[in-house]
Amino acid sequence: VNPFAGLAAVRTELGATLVDVVSAVLVQEAAPTEEPLGPGTAAVARLGIHDTVTHVRVGVEVRLGLGLARVLAGEMMALASPQDEDVVDAVAELGNIAAGATKALLCQDARLSLPSAALTDEPFEISEPGVQQVRAVVLGHVVQLSVAPTEFDGLLWPPAVPNEALGGLR
Amino acid sequence: MKILIADDSKAMRMIVVRTLRQAGFSGHDVIEAVDGRDALTKYQSEAPDLVLSDWNMPEMTGIELLRALRASGSQVPFCFVTSEGSPEMRETAAAAGALGLIAKPFTAEAFADALEPVVSA
Repeated sequence: VNPFAGLAAVRTELGATLVDVVSAVLVQEAAPTEEPLGPGTAAVARLGIHDTVTHVRVGVEVRLGLGLARVLAGEMMALASPQDEDVVDAVAELGNIAAGATKALLCQDARLSLPSAALTDEPFEISEPGVQQVRAVVLGHVVQLSVAPTEFDGLLWPPAVPNEALGGLR
Repeated sequence: MKILIADDSKAMRMIVVRTLRQAGFSGHDVIEAVDGRDALTKYQSEAPDLVLSDWNMPEMTGIELLRALRASGSQVPFCFVTSEGSPEMRETAAAAGALGLIAKPFTAEAFADALEPVVSA
């Protein structure tokens, strides 16, 4: 059974997960919202979830405006003026936490990719049906979580080093 | 006390250091590693008293790091700090010899509870 087939049915839980993650990481009150993301440069983190039983993969994207992303990086790294590389690192970790919670919500026997994050002016574009999007508002800005029945290009997956190979590392 | 923190995110390493302080564990020497392989190298050169490690990392994952340490005979206290905290992962971590698993996002209280047995305030 495809563990992601019931994605639409857990949309409410997905929204609550995003609110919890954003609130905890930013140490600010967050709430669900239907408001869209504003225009302009966005900070985006993408990851994949690979169900190891069915080998179905889904993509997870967390997207927020650059202004809020700088606040996020400042909070996470205790920096007054975070640089772009700090923002990308912080958003990657936000995506990692959100995708980990999403994975726990959807399936158990699964792997999580490493996060891939960037600043972009490109809008969200996934044309395949079945994409689920939820949003949270924090500090007056929107954070968007998308879970898509597709695998994003260019993701890195943690290595699988056989246990017997580890002896050589002593 | 020397504490080795392994995470491929600089932001998360900084948060872990800050949370240790907030949990009351101040004044310890902290060594940072950017992935499991880097952590293994630094373990061998620095001989830390505690390892706090992410699970998903490039080059070598946290669970592979733990298994490599145990295979080498090391019994250093090892705790995961990771975005995934499923029962299966907790079982895997415990079976490999981990002290515990702290799931992100975490609180200073979670650090205090998990690390109190091995870290002095």
